[in-house]
Amino acid sequence: MSPTSPGIAELIDALPVESDEAAEPGAALHDLLGKLSHKRVPIGRLNRFWVLGTLQAKIAAAYLTWWMRSGYAKADKRQQTLNETHLKAALKLLGGMSYLRGAIMKVGQVIATHPDVAPEQFAEVLGHLHFEAPPMHFSLLREFVRSELGADPEDVFDGFETKAFAAASLGQVHRALLKGTEQRVAIKIQYPNIGRTIRDDFRNMMAFLSPMRLSGDWDNLKEQFDDIRHMLDLETDYEHEAENLGLARSAFTEAEGIVVPRVCPEVSTRRVLTMEYVQGLHLDKFLATDPPQELRDHFGHKICLAVLRLDHSKSLMYADVQPGNFLFMPDGRLGFIDFGCCHHESEDDNDRWAEGERAYLESPDALRQSLARISDLTPKQAADDARMEVLARFSDWAWEPVIHEGPFDFSDADYFRRGAQVYGEALRGRYTRSRPANTWMCKAIFGLRAMLTRLKARVDVGTIYRTERLRGPRYQGG
Amino acid sequence: MRITAQKKEETRRRILDCARKLFSDRGFDPTTTRDIAEAAGIAAGTLFNYFPSKEALAMTIVELALDEGAVAFEDRTRGDETLEEALFAHIAYGLRYLEPHRHYIGDVLDLALSPFAGEAICPQARQFRVNHLETVRELIGSHSPPTTPAPTLITMHLYWTLYLGVLSFWATDESPNREDTLVVLDQSTELFAQFLSSELKNGREVNDVTDVARDS
Repeated sequence: MSPTSPGIAELIDALPVESDEAAEPGAALHDLLGKLSHKRVPIGRLNRFWVLGTLQAKIAAAYLTWWMRSGYAKADKRQQTLNETHLKAALKLLGGMSYLRGAIMKVGQVIATHPDVAPEQFAEVLGHLHFEAPPMHFSLLREFVRSELGADPEDVFDGFETKAFAAASLGQVHRALLKGTEQRVAIKIQYPNIGRTIRDDFRNMMAFLSPMRLSGDWDNLKEQFDDIRHMLDLETDYEHEAENLGLARSAFTEAEGIVVPRVCPEVSTRRVLTMEYVQGLHLDKFLATDPPQELRDHFGHKICLAVLRLDHSKSLMYADVQPGNFLFMPDGRLGFIDFGCCHHESEDDNDRWAEGERAYLESPDALRQSLARISDLTPKQAADDARMEVLARFSDWAWEPVIHEGPFDFSDADYFRRGAQVYGEALRGRYTRSRPANTWMCKAIFGLRAMLTRLKARVDVGTIYRTERLRGPRYQGG
Repeated sequence: MRITAQKKEETRRRILDCARKLFSDRGFDPTTTRDIAEAAGIAAGTLFNYFPSKEALAMTIVELALDEGAVAFEDRTRGDETLEEALFAHIAYGLRYLEPHRHYIGDVLDLALSPFAGEAICPQARQFRVNHLETVRELIGSHSPPTTPAPTLITMHLYWTLYLGVLSFWATDESPNREDTLVVLDQSTELFAQFLSSELKNGREVNDVTDVARDS
């Protein structure tokens, strides 16, 4: 190609002003194309940081900051004045998140799980991210599946549906039949390179939030992000999830009507997970059918049973209790479908929580000592009355449905609000976790209660708890 | 003695086979035309009756691989793809068939397909570009309303630059299963589709795409 051809002159004219600084136009073009041809394209942090510079991402960061710093105090008053703003911001945020695909969406999901903590509309719109993230086009997916399974999806499966039927932050789900069978399967496929993307997004997010370093909340915020990042690392490993699915599946009998899909290991990898297809409605659609109270209670019971069963009998803390992970099946069974975010409890975890339970039932003093041990507090921290009072109140709140006689009515939103308030006090006072297992437990407690609150279910948590604890190591005959 | 067309074709194939093997074993740069001729059992000068240069020989290997990719692409086309997806698939299928040559082909692509490569080195590269851009033009046409003007010169230059960028990235991509290339390709085709869409919206002046090939 001649450097004096009309095509090149035209191209140079079209270059952005700031890229056209060189005195010699031909040299500028040469430089530009040279960079494109010989340098690695910034697919990672740099590129995504640029994307994060968009308006939507700034709003996301601003709102996250706002929420973290002051989302708890005087929420009712603020809610009234900011409702409209929240909705607009949430809609913009949704667009930005859908494009970013990675961790920011996941952060949105975490916020959305706590409906009475985040502003109502904010949570409602963000909640859709569980199911409505934009999918990869099929040609990209085909290449990725081929690299994972060694052949095109059309050849590995029968009737592979080219359109995803569900999408989430870390991947998307397609339906197909197992080759040569009538077995319907759901195939969860990760976006290429999503693991690194998540790590990059977190670094970017921390950079955006860095002005908060000077605030008293910084350490706590950073700790929360580190924790979410850890969870996401686990979620990008589908082999880990397949193991969890197998363990969870073994926890329920057919008669209990809790369906955990069977994994098809022959067509699964670390980043492609093939499992039995489970058909049912997600929470929003289920609620849109205006279900009778009995049906709400029925499913509320199953959700509570599912989470407590795994905790007690399998020492598996299910920390991601959120609407995207449950399916309300037409025959009354509950689909329990996503096991990327689980914590395997150690013997030490179980010992400490068993001790906490005994102490709670024994006396306030015993509880105080136990909470100090559970949280690994220093003697100075354990002597801090303000801290211990907040921890004890949180403990009271968490135990409230368990010690309640008969079905606990989760339609009383005030219950969840009180929990959010004390949790907020703990955050602001930086009385938060000292052991990672406590964070997982806390997420499970909040997630379960948030689900039951949205469902407005009446659940006999105490009876379920007492029955399930007999199955696990925390019982120890006591 | 007169050499038959069949004999010629056999010799041509043998040269290509030997070149593939030597490029694979030794790399592109260290392999000489003399090495290839020797391996193919012909005189060094005879090789030039078939291929004017080492680059032309390598580009022929590239073209043959991409031809196979194009057949596979046609075979898998559903007809409901967006332009972005169709372009993605077209390039991705090409990369599949180039995969066996990946570790030596970066040098070839740099030498033969760079916008600054001299045409004398490799007329095959020019023909390859003409053919490739014609296919892309057809894809754009088949994904646009009938009255849509043909893509401008700048549009096709942009496409070619992005395409070379993807090839260049892929040639040195060390990520598992070349997954980073998938991301780059996805970003590139998305960028191009957006550019094309905005260009059509702005109603820029129409240029004949074939000029892209001719202006070199």
